[in-house]
Amino acid sequence: MSGDNAEDNVNHASNSKGISLPMTRVKLIMKSSPDVSSINQEALLITTKATELFVQYLALSSFNNGSGKDNKTLLYSDLANTVEGTETFQFLTDILPKKIFARDYLKLIEENPIEEADN
Amino acid sequence: MEEDRSTTDASQLTLGISGEYMSGGYVLQSQDDDGEESLNDHDDVGMKENFREQDIYLPIANVARIMKNGIPQTGKIAKDAKECVQECVSEFISFITSEPLKLYLQKFREAMKGEKGIPGVSVGEGLGEELTDDSFTNQLPAGIITADGQQQNVMVYTTSYQQIPGVQQIQFS
Repeated sequence: MSGDNAEDNVNHASNSKGISLPMTRVKLIMKSSPDVSSINQEALLITTKATELFVQYLALSSFNNGSGKDNKTLLYSDLANTVEGTETFQFLTDILPKKIFARDYLKLIEENPIEEADN
Repeated sequence: MEEDRSTTDASQLTLGISGEYMSGGYVLQSQDDDGEESLNDHDDVGMKENFREQDIYLPIANVARIMKNGIPQTGKIAKDAKECVQECVSEFISFITSEPLKLYLQKFREAMKGEKGIPGVSVGEGLGEELTDDSFTNQLPAGIITADGQQQNVMVYTTSYQQIPGVQQIQFS
């Protein structure tokens, strides 16, 4: 199969370029999208590399966005704030909601009774 | 939406509030519980219920390592931050797999409806050429997937990736 040669090249490239994410897993996730039947090997490689860069970019943006004085630890709240404030990360707002404690929520409910809409 | 209001251990409970749900579609998630509970509440991710958690996410060790490489010095990363970036990563992959194609097709159809001064016939022809024209694909910002022929649903990257911000700033002139 001619695809084997391409796959070898891609695997070799991934080792030498230092890709540390499992491409088979990336491929699985890509296939979970509708209308996707097969994935080109090079597209898979680029997607994997792009994902790595994305992780670094998200981590760094959140880290810098966090507490200026003692930014030793990257917290979930840093991520949530960064995602909300940066247009680039808008697609993540659904999976990165801000968190509040239940007691605060219950207080909120008492003050403003809310009708729950079933989505 | 399934919500467990009967829990009384409020001190260990954190509540997720999505910024979009202004009228109060709060997400209740336990801190110790697995994060999949919030997944099941989403309409988009309904199909992912069939997959195991390790299948739809990338390994957290890899993700954590890449995060550490991104931040300066040796800052620490909270555990829930690692887990949520893990979810973000899967979301990102799905996003760049599906979204550019949708946007592209949408713009394509809008353009075909006739922009000012472009006759209907030549629009179809011109766009037909543009689809396979290299100069058109090279103008696209980094990370755009172009459909390589409409018979196959094979996604092929024709531009080299540069910076990640380019993925969001899709502009079709």
